[in-house]
Amino acid sequence: MTDQKTLNGIDVPALDAALKTVGAQPAAAKAPKSSRVRWQSGLKFKVQVRNHAFLVDEPTHLTGDDTSPNSMEYVLGAYGACLATGFVLNATKRGIHIENMEVAVESTQDNSFKFLGINDEGHPGFDLVTAKLYVQADADEQTIKELWDRTLDSSPVANSLSREVRLKSEVQVF
Amino acid sequence: MAKNGLPLYPTTVVGSWPRPAYLLDALRKHNRGQMGWKEFNAIADRAVLEAVEYQEEAGLDIVSDGEQRRDNFYSFVVEKLDGVRLMSLAEIMDVVEDKASFEAILKAADAPAWAIHNPTVVGKVKPKMRLALDEYQFLRKHTQKHIKVPLPGPYILTRSMWVKGITDKVYRSQEELAADIVDILRDELIALRDAGCDFVQFDEPVLTDVVFNRAVKERTFMCASMSESSGDPQKELLLATRMMNSITEGVEGVRTGVHICRGNWTRQEVSLLKGSYEPLVPTMMGMDIDQLVLEYATPRAGELGAFAHHPKQKEIGLGVANPRSDDVETVDSIVERVKDARQYFEPEQIFLNPDCGFGTFAERPMNPADVAYKKLAAMVQAANELRKAA
Repeated sequence: MTDQKTLNGIDVPALDAALKTVGAQPAAAKAPKSSRVRWQSGLKFKVQVRNHAFLVDEPTHLTGDDTSPNSMEYVLGAYGACLATGFVLNATKRGIHIENMEVAVESTQDNSFKFLGINDEGHPGFDLVTAKLYVQADADEQTIKELWDRTLDSSPVANSLSREVRLKSEVQVF
Repeated sequence: MAKNGLPLYPTTVVGSWPRPAYLLDALRKHNRGQMGWKEFNAIADRAVLEAVEYQEEAGLDIVSDGEQRRDNFYSFVVEKLDGVRLMSLAEIMDVVEDKASFEAILKAADAPAWAIHNPTVVGKVKPKMRLALDEYQFLRKHTQKHIKVPLPGPYILTRSMWVKGITDKVYRSQEELAADIVDILRDELIALRDAGCDFVQFDEPVLTDVVFNRAVKERTFMCASMSESSGDPQKELLLATRMMNSITEGVEGVRTGVHICRGNWTRQEVSLLKGSYEPLVPTMMGMDIDQLVLEYATPRAGELGAFAHHPKQKEIGLGVANPRSDDVETVDSIVERVKDARQYFEPEQIFLNPDCGFGTFAERPMNPADVAYKKLAAMVQAANELRKAA
């Protein structure tokens, strides 16, 4: 059921209230996060984030069991999901009804062989990631494009991929 | 004279005609459940009459209803059959294990999963109403011309409507489903014959997929479940032949045909399949039908020499107009094509038609009605010249 308070399956007054509450706490802008990755066996891992868990595996041609996506596929999925989330959020804030929406994401890597130790050229990271939005919504094309630009600009995952991120690490042997 | 009182070199269409805007609007409402079948049909009546008027005006000898009541040439069966539901790929991908090959279809089509629909068997398939008899009866009341009624072929229906993870919960095997589909199509053919229909054409475009595509186990542009086929092209072709012959066996008094093309969903010729009919000729010759309705207006189809080893065995519906181009074929070029065909077919066996429909998919017409009309008119002019010279 849809009522006047609900748009795109989101309780609009609750969303407004939540954004107000969060916005009143400047420290929350840093949005600290943590995850823990536990080795299962072979190339299979269990990731825990808050009270959620998901598996990471490699495809069979890389001697995994292909029970789950691999890490790069999760990044790709996370990018698409982040854009989708941002688009729905922005559209809802603007009062736009979305009938259907999909984001298709594709990527290539500079040299995935480096990760596998086959050779040492270049780097194994993404060198191109493309995202395409398919949407049916009660808004003209110009408005949709503005929303999409805003979505790309404000996407945490898009910014994490396109900006330099400081990576720190350490080791403790038991 | 060709058979049944038709002139030499009879002219006709493959089936579909571009839908006018008001019909598309009604179709969308109907598909969204906002307009009932009866109300939609009343609007489609007007569109059918307009489509026929174009064909009669162009001078065709055999007309169709332009498939105006159909969303596309095969998915319309969801309206007519119990046990079949039009499912979006989004719904299908939630259920099937092999999601990756459906993703490949979406990439190739550059489309979202919600926008591509596949008629899917979700229950025991039974006729809810006749597939096309109503279309024929309406048309019969409004034209004196011979009438062609296109029906989806048994092979495309069996293969496309089988989705593993859904259909196998209802049918133990694809053979069981094939038997039901054959029964339904045979009943329809007999009903159309008894009602006086002149020509029933079975559309089997995916047979070209079986022989030309990279691998028969890959899903294709219109056959979502090809990967559930045997994977062996020869077995698939044999199955297609057996099903067709079970439908037509002993049914006399109506011209039957099979239409095989290489896709008609884009104007980008490079995206469509390419290759001679040669590997399909033994299959076509093994089918107990009168006419092969084939595309020969573009080089993609190869040469008519494919019939060199099987000359004059069946009628040919010779494709002489490209439904996907702006340019209207010249009368001379059509006449030359027919002269080529006469090496392998008797003049009495040659019918002229475009390569495929002008609006196979309602939402993706390949040409507007005025261009389609001009192409048909050129075809008729060429037929008149050929008759004069005969």
